[in-house]
Amino acid sequence: MLFNSLDYALFLPIVFLLYWFVFNKSLKNQNVFLLLVSYFFYACWNWKFLFLIVISTFINYYFAKQITKNNSHSKTFLWTGISLNLMILGFFKYYNFFLENFVAVFRLFGTELNSTPLKIILPIGISFYTFQGIAYLVDVYKKEIKASESWLSFSIFITFFPQLVAGPIERASNLLTQIDKKRSFDYAQAVTGIKLIALGLFEKMVIADNCAVIVDAVYSDFSNQTGSTLFFTSILFSFQIYGDFCGYSHIAIGSANLLGFNLTKNFNYPYLAKNIADFWRRWHISFSYWLRDYIYFPLGGSRKGEFNKTRNLTLVFLFSGIWHGADWTFVIYGAIHALLYIMFIYYRKWTKNIQLFSSKIADLLYDFIAIASTFIILTLARVFFRAENYSESIGYFKQMFSQTLFEKPNMSRLFVVLLFGFLFLEWLRKDKEHLLDISDIKSKSIRYSIYLTTIFLVFYNAGNQQSFIYFQF
Amino acid sequence: MRIFFKKISFFLVVIFTVWLFIECFYRLTPNNYTEKHYRIQNNYTKTELLIFGNSHTFYGLNPRYFDQPAYNIANISQSIYFDKLLFDRHIDNFEKLKYVILNIEYTSLSQKDNTSEDFWRKHFYQAQMDLEVPIIPLYDIRQYSLALSRSFKNSINTINQYYKNGTIVECDEFGWGNTYTYENRRQNLDELAVRTVNKHEDNSMDFEVNTQRIKSMIEKCKAKNINVILVTMPVHKSYSEKINKEKAQAIFKVAEKLASENPTTYYLNLFYSQSFSDEDFFDPDHLNNKGAQKCSELINRFINQNI
Repeated sequence: MLFNSLDYALFLPIVFLLYWFVFNKSLKNQNVFLLLVSYFFYACWNWKFLFLIVISTFINYYFAKQITKNNSHSKTFLWTGISLNLMILGFFKYYNFFLENFVAVFRLFGTELNSTPLKIILPIGISFYTFQGIAYLVDVYKKEIKASESWLSFSIFITFFPQLVAGPIERASNLLTQIDKKRSFDYAQAVTGIKLIALGLFEKMVIADNCAVIVDAVYSDFSNQTGSTLFFTSILFSFQIYGDFCGYSHIAIGSANLLGFNLTKNFNYPYLAKNIADFWRRWHISFSYWLRDYIYFPLGGSRKGEFNKTRNLTLVFLFSGIWHGADWTFVIYGAIHALLYIMFIYYRKWTKNIQLFSSKIADLLYDFIAIASTFIILTLARVFFRAENYSESIGYFKQMFSQTLFEKPNMSRLFVVLLFGFLFLEWLRKDKEHLLDISDIKSKSIRYSIYLTTIFLVFYNAGNQQSFIYFQF
Repeated sequence: MRIFFKKISFFLVVIFTVWLFIECFYRLTPNNYTEKHYRIQNNYTKTELLIFGNSHTFYGLNPRYFDQPAYNIANISQSIYFDKLLFDRHIDNFEKLKYVILNIEYTSLSQKDNTSEDFWRKHFYQAQMDLEVPIIPLYDIRQYSLALSRSFKNSINTINQYYKNGTIVECDEFGWGNTYTYENRRQNLDELAVRTVNKHEDNSMDFEVNTQRIKSMIEKCKAKNINVILVTMPVHKSYSEKINKEKAQAIFKVAEKLASENPTTYYLNLFYSQSFSDEDFFDPDHLNNKGAQKCSELINRFINQNI
């Protein structure tokens, strides 16, 4: 069931009404209901994989309890739990990738291995709920939270339908504690939820899906396009993936708000980032912080010298790349980010005492250049993210940086201008929680006109529903 | 909670009103589906030739140019799946039916059921042509609302078309699509052909399901003493040059085999026909009104000479 589908448009209001009016007598009733609708939500995609979620829930629930109970063997239980999580993820997501590369390595040495890739369906959301489970085990081990005593609460923590398939990756300290607390309807929270859902649908259906039509068409025939068309298409893909994933996150957080939950903010105007480090504090925040807390810090973080810091950052970004998908293009994508990040750290270190500008206008100009250059660099790196394989990425770059780069692009310039207009609007409203946070506008009619226009645009672009990019991860 | 519902209801009322308007529009305004359903029932007693197929026969075969009383039940993007549903729904009601024309195109045999082309059309077939469409799931809410089955953008365009032209029916009383005229024909055929071929290419050579459907229709026609003419409609060379030739040959072979195995079945392949010039085409794969006349007369001659 996609968030941008008619099915979800019916599902969510029904859940909302039953949740607040029928199952509101006790917390247990509400939680049982939440678990059932979460399982139903997942089963709409493929009911067979419900078993996998139940297994995953059981592993994390059981091992967290064992970690608490057996102080002397807590480390063994932690690593067993993490290993089991990774084995499940590894089998479904990376088995064929590793097999292919294993065979390729042997082929290099002249040995031809007989291997048949398995036909494995990637269970939707597996990367997200597996990481959430691992974080929970580590937090219990580090005694930052107590192991959950309630199977019901813990099952909701793993399967909570708004964030089940593509995050935000929640920490038990945030979500599990809310599951265990009595919830009451909060008007402001519900209104924010509705606004976030409307904004998310706008981002997905108006921005991402319209970009997708052009991006898909150009990528399928990129060798016959001009360099300028390819350049602008890569910009469009940046907007597509932003609208797609940020839109999903907004709908997820908004849906949770309607049920009385606050989820972690996952995006904070990422294309206004002034450098790569700033970008990772604004883009897929729950994942960035997961990488920081569960990989970067345990590896030693920035302690123990520059070499270790560089090594740790490289490992984190390579891991981040491969997390996105089982392909070398994602590894390259991660490596590019690692390189950019490390280069930025040293650049910042060497230039920290240099003050080039001091006036307000100069600061503004500096910000603009920093934002634009960060956006362009990220956009170019995303060619590896979007391309089907390594050779397609290289072919795309060769064609892009050909003599036709400065020709007139073959696409609607108005559309590109509108997209940058959206970015400009974000810049103007960057102090607000989200773009539809327009409570500062005094005129009620203007506010309602903005809401109605958003709804109209969402409906106008509805119909040919497209899946979310991050569902494949 | 009360304030929340009060405020939400403002937006819900707007949405509900728009939905109601579009729903009423679809339910009350005649379109190709309602028109064809109405006409075909009125033609049960006199029709001797019935034309099935997608837009190629919808625009390309004009019943006026056949010697027998004919009706064109083809429609835009009508797959063999829907041809068969319509065939099963109506065939027993015809009293004088002698010929059935089935369209076999580059896209016909490998076409899957429930594609994006069928996304909204299946609901119109069910609601407005009185068909039971098994590919519509029981729990699909769209089967109760035509407004929900089409995208809002397309609905607005359709309503706009209605206010511009006064109608959204695109066929005449014989069921022939009369809007692809010589005067309005497209000029940039080569450029259009690239897009059309890309759209039509599904990279599938699996013809089994649709071939079985055609066989089943042939069998039923045989039992009722009705002749079946399988037709592959003419296309512009800009289109025929770009398609996968191997796949096209495989499709033609299937049609030839069906004709050779069934004595009451005939196959007429006009795909590469030299009888049609640039002026006969509306776009790379559709005939215009002039081309439709030429093609209909040609098939009429074929029937008179061979059957």
